[in-house]
Amino acid sequence: MAERIGVFVCKCGPNIGDRIDVDSVVAEAEGIEDVVTAKSHNLLCSEDGIRFLQEEIRKGGLTRVVIAACTPKQYEQKFMRACEGVGLNPYLLQMTNIREQCAWVTPDPAQATAKAKSLVRAATMRATLQEPIEKKEIEIHPDVLVVGSGVAGLEATLTLAQKGRKVYLLEKSPCIGGLGARFEEVYQTMECAPCMLAPELQEVLQKENIEAITYGELEGVVGSYGNFTVKIRRKARYVSEEACIGCSACFEPCPVEVSNEFDEGLSKRKAIYIPFAGALPNVPVIDEANCIKLKGGECNACQEACPFDAIDFDDQDRIEEKRVGAIILATGSTQFNPSSLAQYGYGRFDNVLTGLELERLNASNGPTGGKILLKDGREPRSVAFVYCVGRKEKGHCSGICCMYSVKLAHLLKEKIPGVEVYSFYTDLCLPKKEHQRLYEEVVEKGVEFIRSNGSERVSRDGKGLVVEYKADSTSKSLAVDMVVLAPAIEPNPDTAKLAAILDIPLDERGFFSEEHPLMKSFGTPLEGVFIAGCCQGPKDIGDAVAQGGAAAGRILSRLIPGEKLELEPIVAVIDEEICGGCNTCISICPYSAISRDEEKKVAVVDDTLCRGCGTCVAACPTGAARAKHFTNEEIFAEIREVVR
Amino acid sequence: MNEPTIVSFLCNWCSYEGADKAGNARLEYPANIRPIRVMCSGRVDTELVLQAFREGASGVLILGCHPGDCHYKKGNYKTRRRMLLLRKALAQFGVEPERVKVDWVAAGEGERFAKVANEMAETIRELGPLRLPLSG
Repeated sequence: MAERIGVFVCKCGPNIGDRIDVDSVVAEAEGIEDVVTAKSHNLLCSEDGIRFLQEEIRKGGLTRVVIAACTPKQYEQKFMRACEGVGLNPYLLQMTNIREQCAWVTPDPAQATAKAKSLVRAATMRATLQEPIEKKEIEIHPDVLVVGSGVAGLEATLTLAQKGRKVYLLEKSPCIGGLGARFEEVYQTMECAPCMLAPELQEVLQKENIEAITYGELEGVVGSYGNFTVKIRRKARYVSEEACIGCSACFEPCPVEVSNEFDEGLSKRKAIYIPFAGALPNVPVIDEANCIKLKGGECNACQEACPFDAIDFDDQDRIEEKRVGAIILATGSTQFNPSSLAQYGYGRFDNVLTGLELERLNASNGPTGGKILLKDGREPRSVAFVYCVGRKEKGHCSGICCMYSVKLAHLLKEKIPGVEVYSFYTDLCLPKKEHQRLYEEVVEKGVEFIRSNGSERVSRDGKGLVVEYKADSTSKSLAVDMVVLAPAIEPNPDTAKLAAILDIPLDERGFFSEEHPLMKSFGTPLEGVFIAGCCQGPKDIGDAVAQGGAAAGRILSRLIPGEKLELEPIVAVIDEEICGGCNTCISICPYSAISRDEEKKVAVVDDTLCRGCGTCVAACPTGAARAKHFTNEEIFAEIREVVR
Repeated sequence: MNEPTIVSFLCNWCSYEGADKAGNARLEYPANIRPIRVMCSGRVDTELVLQAFREGASGVLILGCHPGDCHYKKGNYKTRRRMLLLRKALAQFGVEPERVKVDWVAAGEGERFAKVANEMAETIRELGPLRLPLSG
C-alpha cells in the first residue's frame, strides 16, 4: 500500500521565510511520489503550529510526516510527541534542518532554496523507508548494590535507603567506614572524622532496608541495567555475628601478634581482632593467615575465653547471590608506595613517614595515643613535609596532598610548641573557597614553604635526617628530625579486578573510566553501573560524597519500583539468516552489547545494552547488522536525493 | 547547481551540533555541502561513501567528535582507520583520495565547522567533478 506522506515547511517567521523561497520548496515536495499534502506554516513549533500539524495528520490520514524547519536538536521531541498524540508512530517522522544548516549559512537565496529542496526530497524519500519503532520497556529490580563503605558509598547507601530502597552495602574489610575512620581531624574544618561518620555508620547498621555485608567481596556479575545478579563471597569470619556481643574478651588471650593495617603497621594487633576500638560492626574476625589453630596448630585460647560461644573454627566462606537493578562502585583508592623512589629514604630510614602514618600518630586511637613521636620516643623538634611524591611518576596531581599536609603542619604546630615545620613543594593546590585560609594560618604560625620543585633528597646524619634540595638555583640542605612524605593517590588493586568482573573500562591511570569527565563523572559506559569517590580519581571527602549522592539520585530517578525501564529505541539488530558468525561486531561493540549464540553460531544484540551507535553495522561484512532508524537503505535514499 | 556536491556525514552528538552552531553564528559556506545525520561517525561504512560517489557526489566529508571525545567511546577512530584504507583503494582506481575527508568538529565549534566545510569545498572545486573511471 502506498504511503500517505505529508510535508510541512516551516518559515520560522523571517528566519527561513525571508531566505528561502518556501512556496517553491512546497511545490517541489508536492511533486514527490506518495506526497498527499505539502504545506508551509509560519511557525510550526507554536501551539497553533502543533495543532495545525496534528489536524493535517488526522485529516489526511498521513502515514509519514516530513518537517523541514530548524535543527531537530531543538524541537524534534516536540514534533514526535505531536505525532504520537494523533496515533502516528513518532519514528515515522523525519525532520530536515533548513535553518541552521541551510538558510542561515547560505547567503544566496537561489542556492539556499535549491539546497532546501534537495534536503526535503532526501527526508521524504527516507521517510518512506522508515519503520515504526515501539518503545521497549523491561521489568526492573529496584534494589541496589553499593560496593565500598567509605564516605561515597555511605552517602549513596543512605540516599537510596531514605527513599525506601533495599541496599546491599558490600565492604571488603571487617568494618564499615573506609579511610575516613582513620583521620582524627579533617581539612579544613578540623572536624573529628570519626565523629562526622558515626551517625552515618549507625544509621547504616540500624536501617532495616540496608544490609551491610562486611568482610565480603564481589565475585561475579551477570545481567544488565535493571536486572543484575551479583555473586558475593562472604568470607569466613570465624566469629558468629549473631552470637558475638563485642565484649573483646577474646583479644587478650590470643598469643599471636602481627602488625596492624589500620595503623599503617605502626601498632600490633592479635590474630583475632577488630581493626580499631569502636569499629562497626563490633564483631571481631580471625585472620586465617596468622591464627595458630586455623594454620593447623594447637590453640583454643579465644574460644575458651569467649563467654558467648561465638567462635566457630569451622566457619566457611559462603557465596550468596543477590538480584539488584543497579550497582555503585565506591571502592576508594590507595597511596603510591614511596619506597620505590630511593631519594626519599622511605622504608630505609627511621622517621621518614607518609602523611597517612603521621595521621595515625596524631590519632588519639592510634599507636601512640595521639602523641607525635620519633621512633626513639622523643618529640620531633623539626619536621619537613615533602609534597608531590610520585606525582611525576603517576602523571597526575592527587589534589588532596596539599590539603592534608597543610593540616598536619597545623596540627604539629598545635601539639608541639616550638616545633619547626618546613614544606617542600612544587605547586600548591588548594582550590576550594575555604581552602586557602588554613594555609595562610600556618604561614603565619611560621611554617616555612620552600619551592624546591621535586629536587629533595633525604639522607641520614647520625640520629637525624637531612633534606638536600635546590631552591632559587642554589643547592641547600636542612637538618630535621622527621620527614613526612605526601605520596600520590593511585587506584587500589581491586579496581582492575572489579573492572574485569563488570566489563567496564579503566582509564590510563588505572582508575575506573567515567562516562563523561564533567557531565557524568559518576557514570560508567555500562548502563546501571555507577562510580563514586576515589575509585574514579583522587578527590577530597566533599567531592566523594557529592558523587555518591549523584549516583544514588540517578538510580532513584530512573529505576523506580513498579515502573518499567524504558530502553533506547534506536538499536542495532542482527539478522540471523545472514550473519556468518564471524564475531567482528562482538569485538568492536563499545558496550559489549553483542554476544554469540553458540547454538545458532550467530551474533545477538542485547537491547538493554545497545546504544545505537551503528559501529557494528558499518563493520559487519555480510550486512546482517542493521541500525534501526539509520538503515543503509534510508541513508542511500538520502544520499541519492542530496546529490541529485 | 554550480558546484559538485559534497555529501557530509555528521555525527549526531558533536559535528551535527557544530554545524548548527555555524548556522547560529551565520557563518557562510557553500550550498553544495549537503549534510546527512548519522548517530556516530563510526556508522559510516565505506559502502556509504562509495554509494555517494556512485550517485554523483564529488566529495565525501565525514565529521565526528574529536579523538577521545566520541559519544560512543571510539567510533571516530574506527571510521578514521576505515577511511584511510578506502583512500588508498580509491587512489588505485584513479580517484583522488582527497575526495574523502575525515575530520573532527566538536559541538561548540561552529567556526571550525565552517572552516572545514569551506576547505573541503575548495579542495573539490580544484579537483573538479568526479568522473568515475568504472561508472557505467
